[in-house]
Amino acid sequence: MSKPKVLAATIVSAFIGLFCLFCLGWTIIDHYGKKTSEMGANETTPIKKNLPDDFTVVALGDSLTRGTGDETGKGYVGLVMEDLESEYHRKPLIHNLGINGQVSQELVQQVKQTEVKRQIQAADVILVTIGGNDLFQKGQTLIDYDREAASVSQKKYLKNLHEILKDLNHVNDTATIFLLGLYNPFIELDEDLDTNRIVRDWNNETAEVVAHYKNAIFVPTFDLFQLSVNEYLYSDKFHPNKEGYRLIADRVAPLIKWEDEER
Amino acid sequence: MNNLIQNEMMKLLAKKRLVIIGIIVGILVMMFTYAQYKQVKEQQEKLGTSDWRAALQQQIIDTQNRLSSNRMLDEWREQLEVSLKQQQYYLDHDINPSEPGAATFTRMFLENAIDLFIPLLIMIVASDLVSSENSQGTIKLLLTRPVERWKILMSKYVTLLLSVSLIVAMTALLSYLLSGLVFGYQGWGAPVITGFDLKGANVDVSQVRLVAQWKFLLMDLGLVWLVAVVVGTLSFMLSVLVRSTPAGMGIMLAALISGAILNNMVSSWESAKYFFMVNLKLTTYISGTAPPIEGMTLLSSVITLLVWWGLALIVSFAAFTKKDVY
Repeated sequence: MSKPKVLAATIVSAFIGLFCLFCLGWTIIDHYGKKTSEMGANETTPIKKNLPDDFTVVALGDSLTRGTGDETGKGYVGLVMEDLESEYHRKPLIHNLGINGQVSQELVQQVKQTEVKRQIQAADVILVTIGGNDLFQKGQTLIDYDREAASVSQKKYLKNLHEILKDLNHVNDTATIFLLGLYNPFIELDEDLDTNRIVRDWNNETAEVVAHYKNAIFVPTFDLFQLSVNEYLYSDKFHPNKEGYRLIADRVAPLIKWEDEER
Repeated sequence: MNNLIQNEMMKLLAKKRLVIIGIIVGILVMMFTYAQYKQVKEQQEKLGTSDWRAALQQQIIDTQNRLSSNRMLDEWREQLEVSLKQQQYYLDHDINPSEPGAATFTRMFLENAIDLFIPLLIMIVASDLVSSENSQGTIKLLLTRPVERWKILMSKYVTLLLSVSLIVAMTALLSYLLSGLVFGYQGWGAPVITGFDLKGANVDVSQVRLVAQWKFLLMDLGLVWLVAVVVGTLSFMLSVLVRSTPAGMGIMLAALISGAILNNMVSSWESAKYFFMVNLKLTTYISGTAPPIEGMTLLSSVITLLVWWGLALIVSFAAFTKKDVY
């Protein structure tokens, strides 16, 4: 190792060291120099770029959309996608925005988000499962059933549903919206079929709301689980299992028409 | 003094340690680049689009789903909520948090390497700076020269500082050059958000501002350098105190690894924040991740590190000048 080389290495690293020291000082000053934000905290920037124009499915809603209870993790949405792919030999785009435990109020918020709106705009089909958590509240509603409270939460739910469908239609009026009805997971626990009446009533009211919107379709699932419900439920006795999701998917998939000239 | 430093520098370069460090960094960077590339590809395939917004939206949904599970420790929940809010903030402002390119890769690499990888590299150089003279017996030759002892140690310390700077710069440069082969060399001007003010799970966005990525990278570099210097000084002290190099290395390694483990579990043990190894993740303060213990700030961490640094220096010089050599 020659002397000039060593000297050069020394000088270079000395400069790097000083530079790093300078960066460090600057970082600390910058971090504590209280500047106010240049960006509005709450305003959002509109997104200009559009998503690709392929056949797109947006799935919104609660744990059913997420696929909770299906050990393969697909849920009815994943199964519907597989069905579509095998029927049309092409892969549809899917945005699954389902969140476990989501109630209608939260979905109202979610469909107002910019990016969610952009995805909805690109959608050809929108699948929605909502209301299960509004009604059952993790089983509480049915254990100590309070008619008063139930009718309040139902009213709130119906109002939210109106708002969701209105927003969806506003963002995208060509997409078909499939809203899945509720099934009754407690049917076998219930002797006098009280819960059946509640769920049926809930579904009827939901169908009434859906009927106001011309691209929206109410898809019942009540009958699918009416007989031998336990065969189709996951071990939590609330969410469907793989077979349960298969039943739902078999009902939804044939309704979806994938036509290129649609858009 | 100058000659002494030159002499030490020559010894260091002759050992070819820096070359080995360069090779280690190179291999790791290539591995991470490949892993990242694979991940991006898989994600695109899954989503059917290369649009980052869809990917980020999916991440947000995933985080929300994890949050909805009720079997979660409170501190994890808090961290997830913070990152959720930040992701949403990026999305709402149409800013890609990980703009593809070598600059972003380098930033991420530095941020992840700061608490363990970089300190380990520094240890390779620092831990035998003095003790190797002991084990090779050359310490006597060195000390019989008509130079005061503190000057000899000083020349070694300055050499350490120089090589630490070199290693930090080399790591950054190599990760930029190598990852650029795959991701392209762009991304310097991409906006990065800094200034998230965290109070528990609440994110205060009133002081949030945009910084060009190159500025952010330089900030990261400064912080990484500080961590490297402090860790280097501590292992330097050990190499003065402990005669055998492996023992000194072992102690330092144990400290660093315990720091990495403690980071995940100390949130309820508040006085742990005075350990240097809990304070190494300095970059999280400017990128806005929750610190391991509530109440830690950039300034408190920097001061803690500086105190450790100062003590280590005092101990090293005191021990070296008083030490019996036989």
